Amino acid sequence: MSSLAPRSDFPLLVRNPSLHYLDSAATSQKPKVVLDAVREFYETANANPHRGAYALSAAATDAYHQARVDIAQFLGVRDTDCLIFTRGTTESVNVVASSWGHANVKPGDEIVVTALEHHANFVPWQQLALSTGATLRIVELTELQEIDLDHLRDVVGPRTKVVAITHVSNAVGAITPLDEVVRIVRTHSSAVIFVDGAQGAPHLPVAFDALDIDFYAFSGHKMLGPMGIGGLIGKRALLEAMPPYQFGGDMIEWVQDFDSTWNVLPHKLEAGTPNAADAVGLGAAVRYLAALDMAKVRAHEVALLERTEARLRALPECTVYGPPPSRRSGVISFSLMDVHPHDLATILDQHGVCVRAGHHCAQPLMRRLGVSATARASFYVYSEQKDADALATALVAAQSLFASA
Amino acid sequence: MGVRSLTDMSAMYQETLLAHYRAPKNRREIVDATGSASRKNPLCGDAMRVMVRVVGERVEDAAFVGNGCSIAVASASMMTEVLPGLSREDAIAMAERVEAMLAGAEVTLPDGLAALRGVAPFAARHGCAVMAWRAMREAVMGGARQVQNSHS
Repeated sequence: MSSLAPRSDFPLLVRNPSLHYLDSAATSQKPKVVLDAVREFYETANANPHRGAYALSAAATDAYHQARVDIAQFLGVRDTDCLIFTRGTTESVNVVASSWGHANVKPGDEIVVTALEHHANFVPWQQLALSTGATLRIVELTELQEIDLDHLRDVVGPRTKVVAITHVSNAVGAITPLDEVVRIVRTHSSAVIFVDGAQGAPHLPVAFDALDIDFYAFSGHKMLGPMGIGGLIGKRALLEAMPPYQFGGDMIEWVQDFDSTWNVLPHKLEAGTPNAADAVGLGAAVRYLAALDMAKVRAHEVALLERTEARLRALPECTVYGPPPSRRSGVISFSLMDVHPHDLATILDQHGVCVRAGHHCAQPLMRRLGVSATARASFYVYSEQKDADALATALVAAQSLFASA
Repeated sequence: MGVRSLTDMSAMYQETLLAHYRAPKNRREIVDATGSASRKNPLCGDAMRVMVRVVGERVEDAAFVGNGCSIAVASASMMTEVLPGLSREDAIAMAERVEAMLAGAEVTLPDGLAALRGVAPFAARHGCAVMAWRAMREAVMGGARQVQNSHS
């Protein structure tokens, strides 16, 4: 099967026709329209947004605002000002854990995370618990590395202040049934629900307003956008009640000698000169994804997963982690007995196949799997059957290299 | 793309290295060790502990425990074979020569470490190769400190 998006849209893939890039869960490649949008911003609209009373600054402000509008629409957010630009998911989690967390979490409260989380949606909450005297509760997983909803039901209760949960696991690709999570959490508690969408927004249609969650975090660079731009979506009441995360320009309303007042959303949570050019690039990325149609993105990934998984499972002593492809995003996490994932990644690299090897910033999960690392191949809109074939061929070569003695 | 050639790869994964990986030498505890030290590879989560018994100024015994990729395990295994008999100072000098070799310098190494030369073209794997050596340097100084990260 061919790719969903034309590979000719991606300059890096054009330059490296024999490269099989299977690490899109780490970062995606960028289409030319995104690179052009960033360049065009600097060439035609570069000025500091929200500052100057001149036409160029107004053009920068407009471009930055339009990016926010387009991204909010793509993620199903009607109230555009509730989309805060950040450097990415990591910063978004830290904003909420630090700012909302320290204002709301008290000793004796409970903070709920899952064993599936990326360190970025685990450590900030762990540290919040340590600094506030709250208790961290960890929801365990099923045998297929999916969040155990029965355990979630047991763990969430009147003391739960926040439930931080991933939309899609970066390490094994398991998709969280958010509807069910929301139903359980709302039934048993008045907790705030924070969803890590770093691996969700690039691969699944997201309708924030319809989900009835409180926060959603995402990273632009995993969804065809530039590095260094991402966002935090929150319910207005929560964002308005949150103290600022950083202080500086743009986020103030009025500065007295010994006190200050804050600007309105989204500016209150965007101190300093914004990363407007990359926001504009991300705006171009979501328009590109919308034109591809997220339902088709999903179908493309599932089709690739099913074919690849069949080939991997046919290899001797290959273990594939996670639920079946229908309940995974475009990620296949696996190990070959006797070949350490690091060795595997080196050997695959020699065949032009880029995969991730390591703990995937998910050491709580790795401990539960009883391994220190796995190898992970991940697909996206530009992936094609040839990539999956190259992976399978290279794995056979790796096995024979390590078996020969 | 900095893709190395398949020849480079065969040079790294040569039989000597793979043999040390499959059946590592001196993967055991030293009950009367005079020093031990651990290193973790933060990239893959692997961990290794190296033990030595130094009598006077001489390394009498060296061993390691832990898991890792073929490069990390083979490097540790080869190291424990060449250390006994060396002075503390020579053991540290040997560790420095291994790191210099990986960095591209022309250095002499005993035959028992020749297989490590294949790792040099693979910068991403230098951290795996030096894990045991860095732990050893601390262990021969009588160290028994807590686990430290071994960034390459």
